[in-house]
Amino acid sequence: MPRLPLGDWVDSGVNWLVDHLSWLFDAVRVVVEGMYDGLDAVLAAPQPLLLAGILAVLAWWLRGLTAGVLAFAGFALVDSLNLWDQAMSTLALVLVATVIALVISVPLGIWAARSKAVGAALRPVLDLLQTMPSMVLLIPAILFFGLGTAAGVIATLIFALAPGVRMTELGIRQVDAELVEAAEAFGTTPRDILWRVQLPLALPTIMAGVNQVIMLGLSMVVIAGMVGTGGLGGAVNEAIGQLDIGYGFEAGVGIVVLAIYLDRMSGALGTQLSPLGRRAAAGARTAAWSHRPRPAVAVVGVVVLALVAGGMNVFGSAGTSEASGTDIGRGKELKLGYIPWDEGIASTFLWKEMLEERGFKVTTSQYAAGPLYTGLAAGQLDFETDSWLPTTHAEYWKKYGSRLEDVGSWYGPTSLELTVPSYVKDVNSLADLKGHASEFGGKIIGIEPSAGEMALLKDKVLNEYGLKGQFQVVDGSTPAMLAELKRDYARKQPVIVTLWSPHWAYSAYDLKKLKDPMGAWGRGDRVHTLARKGFAADNPEVAKWLKDFSMTEKQLTGLEQRIQQAGKGKEQDAVRAWLKKNPGLVDKWAPVPGKGARSGAAG
Amino acid sequence: MTSRLEAEQLFKVFGRRPDEAVERLREGADREGLRADGTTAAVIDASFAVRAGEIFVVMGLSGSGKSTLLRMLNGLLEPTAGHVRFDGQDLTAMTDRELRELRSKKISMVFQHFALFPHRSVRENAAYGLSVQGVPRAERERRADEALALCGLAGWEDSWPDELSGGMQQRVGLARALATDADLLLMDESFSALDPLIRRDMQDQLLELQKTLKKTIVFITHDLNEAMRLGDRIAVMRDGRIVQTGTAEDILLRPAGDYVASFIQDVDRSRVLTAGAVMDTAVRGDEADCGCPAATVDTPFTELCALSARLPHPVAVLDADGTLAGVVTRARLVGFLGADQNADQNGDPSAGPGGEAVCDHDNGGKVTARA
Repeated sequence: MPRLPLGDWVDSGVNWLVDHLSWLFDAVRVVVEGMYDGLDAVLAAPQPLLLAGILAVLAWWLRGLTAGVLAFAGFALVDSLNLWDQAMSTLALVLVATVIALVISVPLGIWAARSKAVGAALRPVLDLLQTMPSMVLLIPAILFFGLGTAAGVIATLIFALAPGVRMTELGIRQVDAELVEAAEAFGTTPRDILWRVQLPLALPTIMAGVNQVIMLGLSMVVIAGMVGTGGLGGAVNEAIGQLDIGYGFEAGVGIVVLAIYLDRMSGALGTQLSPLGRRAAAGARTAAWSHRPRPAVAVVGVVVLALVAGGMNVFGSAGTSEASGTDIGRGKELKLGYIPWDEGIASTFLWKEMLEERGFKVTTSQYAAGPLYTGLAAGQLDFETDSWLPTTHAEYWKKYGSRLEDVGSWYGPTSLELTVPSYVKDVNSLADLKGHASEFGGKIIGIEPSAGEMALLKDKVLNEYGLKGQFQVVDGSTPAMLAELKRDYARKQPVIVTLWSPHWAYSAYDLKKLKDPMGAWGRGDRVHTLARKGFAADNPEVAKWLKDFSMTEKQLTGLEQRIQQAGKGKEQDAVRAWLKKNPGLVDKWAPVPGKGARSGAAG
Repeated sequence: MTSRLEAEQLFKVFGRRPDEAVERLREGADREGLRADGTTAAVIDASFAVRAGEIFVVMGLSGSGKSTLLRMLNGLLEPTAGHVRFDGQDLTAMTDRELRELRSKKISMVFQHFALFPHRSVRENAAYGLSVQGVPRAERERRADEALALCGLAGWEDSWPDELSGGMQQRVGLARALATDADLLLMDESFSALDPLIRRDMQDQLLELQKTLKKTIVFITHDLNEAMRLGDRIAVMRDGRIVQTGTAEDILLRPAGDYVASFIQDVDRSRVLTAGAVMDTAVRGDEADCGCPAATVDTPFTELCALSARLPHPVAVLDADGTLAGVVTRARLVGFLGADQNADQNGDPSAGPGGEAVCDHDNGGKVTARA
């Protein structure tokens, strides 16, 4: 069989689109992000409990008193878990994706229901959208729309599109043909048949589709979190990235609360919208706990709460402006991205804190390595501090290096290695592994297959030590690798893991790095800070700070440890506390010219 | 009376190359031959004329093409060949928009399974045609309520279709068709889905309404009894073709071919036949002079039986002027009931009470007797 270069075609197709249709993608991005930002601003503005109240009144109106009380309890729980902002940004993301998905899918479904040819043509496309692994769609989405909400929303809505189209088509096709004929027999125009007969009768099915769209959208949220949409998806990614089971569960609970609320509300909305459903619901409702306020009462309730919310927000936001002599940034926005690795988190939040002290407005978002480089190369991010060069991230540097600026390294050297627990006595170097495969079940526990270290291990290290065929490298993820290590360590079983230094695992467990007499891993990497093209020209001070920045191992592990102890969501507090313990570092790493002399003038 | 609706050599062929199929049908090909090629000839060379104010029944078994034929009469289906003329306008030459206009104002339809809109109340259903016409709400609700009252549904306006029994639902369907004041009513097996008793009621009500409304009605049915009961004239369809058109008596007494003949075997003739159809016109002239009750030409067969049972001699039949038109002997009555249209006119006039056994005495009291 000749090799069909399908992948090459897709590659060049994607490149062509990026080159020639960027104006279109930019327009889409602006619209999507505008919708998202607007909705997110509205949702994030009021006090959490007030908004919870508003959402509860909506639930009361649509479903009854019990639903209202439960909704309030659910959202209060989210707030008490300190996940309110993330939950609202996820809610905004899902709602925007749902609205766009419906705007596209309902007309498509109607079209498909009316034309057999369209229906037949759409079916394989829908299959493709629904079953193509979502990560495969995510990377092109970043190329087209850049990192952040737009890519997340687009990836989410593409995934969620199919049930909307299918259920609309099904709903309309299910409408009794005799009813349509009756409408025709009385001279109804095709458009009126659609609006007066088919759509009202198809509404329950269409609303079931809407429900599916929302649910699929929510399930995509976690994956979209990988491209920096933040929200609960980001929180989940962060938690699994650091094996923080408790935090992951909390974020998961947040998603569940949103899912249940949206599911029940969209279901109830379907009933309310459809005349048949309304009648059935009216007949079934007798008990006091399912009492529902009249629409007018509900509207008044929502409006009053919303006004209170708006008012408090206005008063609450007054008097927060500040000015000081160290205000270099003057509110300039900087976007930082990071991979959820310990040194990445530590250095990123360190710079976030220091830059904010210098008057910059800093946003940080977490990505997988691939999306991070893509976003940086596209200019979506300003800089990131966690590039292992020249070896580990060589592939990324080869692909994106020409569109990036290397600001310099701040830590090094690092090393990559295979590591065993020190209770494994008979293996001390890579050369010793030969013939010991059965002891480890023939397995080396790997990390993400996309990681540079994995490529190096499979292509070079195993070959040089003649281990190919004896050992199988298990693809997985860093958290999975650490979990496996933890499990085997607790049971004192032999295990080989793919690890690197610096890593907190070396202080947590008693481990042994396997020696590399042949130097197959290469010389150690240094941790570099990479910025988008043109960053240094736009931000000369920051670029200079970053260029001169360096950390000792003691400083880095100390900071990492403090962040680890502080727990999730308190990274910046930990950084602040650490800086307080190590005074003078801020002025050393981010010096302000003529500081002190100018402080009087600024007041 | 002028014809209101005319069908002229209508063909409807489903499938590929319908025009070619019509040519072959005109050359004498039959349905089966076409079916082998994957084309279905639903209606073949159908021609008839419906007069203003008459109930024209198209009768046929399922698959005979009657429903397809009906849908060509209001343009829901476009004929493959032939013409439909309504009030002199050729429907086949009309645009879609003109056809919709015509359907919304002049032609309405009643369906087999009622086809009421479940998301609209009874009143909104009845007003549907008017709302399509764009009649303002107040007026269309008034007219819908009138139509509902006419169909015996006053007080049910605010109910929902699924709260009504089948018969009542079909009354809503009828009211919906009547509310637009359409002249032509197309009824597609409208009573077939109802219980026999309810069906009788609906048939009676339709006949009652028709006395005052005088609509032109094309009624489709597979039930010959219903056809005979309702139809001023009946067209019998078989395999897409109209095999006979005529009054109930024509069909019953002079069936065109074995198919129709086999069909009418099960018909309750006593319901259809009248004195005029069964009388022997060879009369002496003095049969009515005895002063005994006599029948008119319109007297139903059952009443004729009752009369005959009470008289020792043949029943005299008088025409509209009161002059003697014919006589009916008992032997003749029995003969017609037994589907023997060549009933022996030499039968014994004083034949025993054998005729009584099959006559319906319950109707005896309603005899429109003449002194």
